[in-house]
Amino acid sequence: MSRSLSWKKGLGLVALALILISYPKLVDSYFLHLSVATLLAMIMACSWDILARTGQVSVGQAGLFGIGAYTAALLYQKVHLHPILGMLAGALLALMVAIGLGYLTLRLRGIYFSITTIAFAEALSVIWLMTPSITGGAMGVSTPPLFGGNREHAYYLILTLFGLVLLALWLIESSRLNFAFTAIRENEEVANVMGINPTRYKVLAFAISAFFAGFAGGFYSHYNTYIIPYEVFGLGISIACLVMPIFGGLYTILGPIIGTILIKAIEEYLRVTISYGHQIAYGLILVMVVLFMPEGLIGLYKRRILPLWGRGTES
Amino acid sequence: MDWPSFFQSIANGVLIAGLYAAVTLGLTLVLGVMGIVNFAHGELVMLGAYNTFWFYTLLGLDPLVSLSLSGLLLFFIGIGIYRFTIRPILKDPPLNQLLLTLGLSIFFQNLAMILWKTDSRSVITSYSGMSLHLGMVHIGLTRLITFLLAVTLTILLVLFLYKARPGRAMRAVSENNTASWLIGINVQRTYLLAFGVASAIAGASGALVSTVMYTFPMVGFKLSLKAFCILVLGGLGNIPGALFGSLILGLTESFVGTYVPEGSGWAEGISFILLIIILLIKPTGLAGTRRE
Amino acid sequence: MTLLRVENLTKRFGGLAAVHHVSFGIDRGEIVSLIGPNGAGKTTIFNLISGVYSPDAGQILLENESLVGRRPFEVCQKGVGRTFQIMQPFPHMTVLENVVVSALFGRVPKISMTQARKEASELCRLVGLGEKQGAFPRNLTVADQKRIEIARALAVRPKLLLLDEVMSGLTPTETVEAIGLVRRIRQSGVTILLIEHVMKVVMGISDRIIVLHHGEKIAEGPAAEVTNDPRVIEAYLGEHIEDLEEPPC
Repeated sequence: MSRSLSWKKGLGLVALALILISYPKLVDSYFLHLSVATLLAMIMACSWDILARTGQVSVGQAGLFGIGAYTAALLYQKVHLHPILGMLAGALLALMVAIGLGYLTLRLRGIYFSITTIAFAEALSVIWLMTPSITGGAMGVSTPPLFGGNREHAYYLILTLFGLVLLALWLIESSRLNFAFTAIRENEEVANVMGINPTRYKVLAFAISAFFAGFAGGFYSHYNTYIIPYEVFGLGISIACLVMPIFGGLYTILGPIIGTILIKAIEEYLRVTISYGHQIAYGLILVMVVLFMPEGLIGLYKRRILPLWGRGTES
Repeated sequence: MDWPSFFQSIANGVLIAGLYAAVTLGLTLVLGVMGIVNFAHGELVMLGAYNTFWFYTLLGLDPLVSLSLSGLLLFFIGIGIYRFTIRPILKDPPLNQLLLTLGLSIFFQNLAMILWKTDSRSVITSYSGMSLHLGMVHIGLTRLITFLLAVTLTILLVLFLYKARPGRAMRAVSENNTASWLIGINVQRTYLLAFGVASAIAGASGALVSTVMYTFPMVGFKLSLKAFCILVLGGLGNIPGALFGSLILGLTESFVGTYVPEGSGWAEGISFILLIIILLIKPTGLAGTRRE
Repeated sequence: MTLLRVENLTKRFGGLAAVHHVSFGIDRGEIVSLIGPNGAGKTTIFNLISGVYSPDAGQILLENESLVGRRPFEVCQKGVGRTFQIMQPFPHMTVLENVVVSALFGRVPKISMTQARKEASELCRLVGLGEKQGAFPRNLTVADQKRIEIARALAVRPKLLLLDEVMSGLTPTETVEAIGLVRRIRQSGVTILLIEHVMKVVMGISDRIIVLHHGEKIAEGPAAEVTNDPRVIEAYLGEHIEDLEEPPC
């Protein structure tokens, strides 16, 4: 469970980084936009996975995403706060809300926490609709295009955020947090008896997860130039950021990434063929994964494909 | 003290509580017998509602008559869902069960969107606008009939659980499924039936829902949230608790709707607030638990 | 020097008293066995001491500090380590990692990762798992899994070690090894309270024995005294003799 960077891996990562950095020069505007959307989704997927490592399933990341989105948008609207600062503010506010909500609800057994998160996002939606004078209500909030519409700069910003998420994940995996999260997930009662305060670590995971979700929301509001409650607090977002890691493989760094890329591809295809209801694929994927490949694509790879090459699996 | 408003609030609250109870009963049954929280339960209600709408629009069948048809149809759909997706995961960790039923929920929500678009549908019958006057209180005829039918459904379910063999089997299994198996109850068959019956009730409540609310793909989701709140309020997996919780939610929504400015908009958020409060004070629900 | 003092401990489940007005003390450095027929309340007492359950009445004092109302991780950090009757290692961690967890979180003040790994490795060797540190628990024998439990409990550097039926299911050789291990642990300064059914072990290893029956303490004292106590004999004869595990000679 410890991480060490071998020469080959390091070199590979550097090469990948170089590609990612020069990427905008190589592709057209449509693909650039798609890449930004995919990176955003990856951030949400990875952030969800952080909390999932403690065994808690959040079905309300949209609540945190929406808080980030509206904080950035409203701060810009009211006091012309610079977008990046607005995103940071959104991230911090989401983090604080998560800490508060977390301490209240993470003591509950798994499924009740999940129910609460769904209700949380819905409640925010209701609050937003009922207070239009503060929040813009159903009419939404507009902001001018991010970086004056320069998609390249937007791409670099989101790439940086993604890099930060990866860094956070790597740090978690190589620190004692990994032990705490895994122990809590595998057997919370025993972890408790071994000296781990489950609530504290679950709240920590939730807070980190919320920070990134909030930042992503803030980015989205400026990038998209227009947000409405139905969308940013919507169940669709909450579901999306859980289907991707589950499909790809939970509790890994690569899983959410692969899952996101595949799902985004499926989604793009569906979006042009049917106008509503493309999330039907998410529903199907969730059901299929639970029934046939609970460890996601990564698990499938480890179990079916690696052994073919004579590399056995240990767990 | 504005007595008419006060009593009207009580009346409205009780009437809607009946509907909520009907919606929650199936969820409670499945939780009690199998220990699974079916996140897709609301979608079964939604399918019942759409079913009623189409029967009415295409065949002219009165909704409160086609109620039994909706129930029947959803019974079979429920059995199918159980056989192919629920049975395999009965012994899985709760997280897997959550994800699976969540997946089903998303699937059905989006299926409805694809098949029937996102417009809200209404079922307007010849008697939709009528209302009765009881003293200071107005009661919509449709709401009243819906309430009475919901009560009937509840009574039928209780009779089933206490008098009919399969029903008694369900109660036995929910108390202790090993002991039940030992005395010869076919536990698998009981689970199957319970899920089917729960889906049938959901379908029937869907018919009721279509008459007093709009029918749209997400209506099931909205109702699910309320049902979860009721589950927690009433103590999970027991029927008196579900009735009690429905009453609390119905009355609270109604009073907020009357007395809080713009209350009807806020009423939607009530279930969340109640949920949070209850989970904080007593994580096992107000009326106590029968099953963890 | 009293390390643990339990006074009038009571715990009810539904209407049934699992533990009823139980009092006893354990001195530093003792090895005390807690015995009794099935359902006597022994594991409940462990759960009460370790904070998994909270008592309905009574007091639990560790070095004169009350443990009542403390959550399990707090009790652990105060110096109580325990094993579980039904072994529960973390399935997706190796043997070493299982022990590292306790070393990292059960100790106050917290130690570094490197230190934790070092100590965990030493503990694995101490309990006889030196060669198997990289294995996963599901691939190990019952005896080895019990060793993981013990190593895990020791990793928190407990003052009081609660061992829950670590001898059951062991072969005679393994039992002898386990007895030796328990003695070595006591020598390193740890006080031990064990739940055991294997009477031979209990007789051989205990300074004192406490007997529970239907949630109440019915006898306490050195081995010879307790086994001749008529109430104890009746309690055991009232149950099936097969319940008393005797390792084959």
